[in-house]
Amino acid sequence: MKLLVAGISHKTAPVQLREKLAIPEHAVPNALRELQQSGAAEAVVLSTCNRVEIAAAIPDHEDSLRIVSRFLALHGHDDAALVDSHLYRFEHREAIRHLFRVAASLDSMVVGEPQILGQIKAAYALARNEGSVGGLLENVLTRAFSVAKRVRSETGIGQMAVSVSYAAVELARTIFGSLRGHSVMIIGSGKMGELAAKHLRRSGADRIFVANRTRARAEEMAQVFSGRVVEYTSFLQTLPEIDIVIASSAAPHYILTREAIERVISARRNKPMFLIDIAVPRNIEPSVNEIEGAFLYDVDDLESVVNANIKEREQQARQAEAIIEEEVERMIARLKIEEVTPTIVGLQEQFEEIRAAEVMRALRRLPSLTPEQREQVEAQIQALTKSIVNKIAHGPISELRNNAGHPEGTHVIDAIRKVFHLHR
Amino acid sequence: MGESSILWLRVATGLYSLGLLDAIITVLRRREQLFRVALAAFGLGALFHLVSLVEQGLLQHHLPVNDIFETTSVCAFAITVAFFVVYWRYKTESLSIFVFPLVFVLSLVAALRNPVPGWSSEALRNGWLSVHIVLILLGYAALLFTAVAATAYLIQERELKRKRAQSVHRILPPLGTLDELISKSLAAGFTFITAGIIVGSIWAFISYGSRWIGDTRITISFVTWAIYLALVFVRVGAGWRGRKTAILAIIALLCSAVTWVAHAHLGSRLV
Repeated sequence: MKLLVAGISHKTAPVQLREKLAIPEHAVPNALRELQQSGAAEAVVLSTCNRVEIAAAIPDHEDSLRIVSRFLALHGHDDAALVDSHLYRFEHREAIRHLFRVAASLDSMVVGEPQILGQIKAAYALARNEGSVGGLLENVLTRAFSVAKRVRSETGIGQMAVSVSYAAVELARTIFGSLRGHSVMIIGSGKMGELAAKHLRRSGADRIFVANRTRARAEEMAQVFSGRVVEYTSFLQTLPEIDIVIASSAAPHYILTREAIERVISARRNKPMFLIDIAVPRNIEPSVNEIEGAFLYDVDDLESVVNANIKEREQQARQAEAIIEEEVERMIARLKIEEVTPTIVGLQEQFEEIRAAEVMRALRRLPSLTPEQREQVEAQIQALTKSIVNKIAHGPISELRNNAGHPEGTHVIDAIRKVFHLHR
Repeated sequence: MGESSILWLRVATGLYSLGLLDAIITVLRRREQLFRVALAAFGLGALFHLVSLVEQGLLQHHLPVNDIFETTSVCAFAITVAFFVVYWRYKTESLSIFVFPLVFVLSLVAALRNPVPGWSSEALRNGWLSVHIVLILLGYAALLFTAVAATAYLIQERELKRKRAQSVHRILPPLGTLDELISKSLAAGFTFITAGIIVGSIWAFISYGSRWIGDTRITISFVTWAIYLALVFVRVGAGWRGRKTAILAIIALLCSAVTWVAHAHLGSRLV
């Protein structure tokens, strides 16, 4: 058996091609069957918006390229040249490394994003339901899950926010600690503001206020966040109760001036306040940031937080690659042993069978002896035959171990199986 | 000072102590539960205080400001009156956090004047002193905590203001947590130091009689305590946070260090 991974990703193919090759979830069982028809022993299909990939365990004599093109032909993609120039194909060690890297989110568009692991797990579960995994591929995949976990816990790769709305949540946490019991007001109805509010709510902020020039829109948004509507004309009165303000209105001028926020902060008895201005043109006077206790971040500020985090992630990714290398080595070593184990066990069983049968025959032919004598002789014969068998078995077994995992090793292993009549 | 005059002053001090208790509870719990009771006790205390002053004045046929004890007593009474005027006019409850402890300590000092026979045993004297030292050291420890948390607050705040999303963010606790820590350690420290000052004053009074007040070390201690009181007031009463309290906390810590050094190196002029 050998491992094969083939596919296209955001790194090798434009979205036009990716969407053409994408396999929707309901079509996956069929695709798995087709892969098996094409000659794969095990198969998993992963299809996300950033990648379409198949992973398969194929018999050693099969040519991976043939399997892939057979599968693509079955799927009606016979424009082989086009697909070929974008398709990547990995075998053996490279295939394992690729699966580990994808699961650990090192191959993602946003390195370290956590969704990919869930997507692979789902793909694996689907394949399991269809009975298309169980053996080499399953072994590697389950290992990939724990490698991803290890990367996540040993590097800080997933910890830093790499989107503007998550950066807002991270900053809110740095200011307030736990967000539980803190209140948020969204002024205006910009998409990004809504997204930030959603993340804040999910992170624990439990009182959401919505102010909007259009009453109906405010009510609609309040429903989404199970928040309260505040009259647009009088939201300033509510501000002292608010810890986090998200301004994303289309107003062409500052709706929150320095003077207004100064009054709000003093009404709050200097309790800190986090103001997020994601409107363009800006809604909050920039000098608000100079007020003690007021922390104002606009789109550019959040963007620069994100950029700093991305740089940091890249550094963490280098650490992660080292972990991946180590895990690939470990996996290969484990697979080697697993590959030859059945042959070794078979060999030992066969030798033992022959030995036991011959010992029985010899014992039956023994002349009449006293029970004590008989016992002594039997012990002698057992020890003698065991030692002969072990010495004979030593050669082929150590040869099997040495050749495990080597590309040419399969010939040696096949030869040994043939010589000792191991068929199964 | 007349015997009965000092008795009335001690009764007043006892009543003022309820005010101190209220201030400490407010600082610790950040809820004003005892305020009504404390205010009533404080008013009653002021009445006894007035009786004490009038009696002493009648005895001397002029305002009783002959020595530091009498002056302190008059001063404490004046602060009390001023507090009631301001309170009646503006309903400023939070001022009580500052005034109650201050008036209590001033009248305590004034009441520790007429000498008492001295310690009944050496063991009691040493035990009492140990209590004082332990309380003060606990207070210093809490103050050190406050100053460290305040410094961390300053750094974290500056990073947030500069919008430098670098690693400091992740090393230091969030601002909210630091703020909580400052409040708690400040409240604990204030309680310990105040108790320590009271125990220490009484110890010095019993040991040295009315001469205790002139000691430099004791003066420095009172100044340090006053700074601590101011710190607690601006934080809990006036709602100061961040930079200003942090700087005050560091000043208070430095003053405490000076007090400590003074106690270690300035030999007492007494005994």
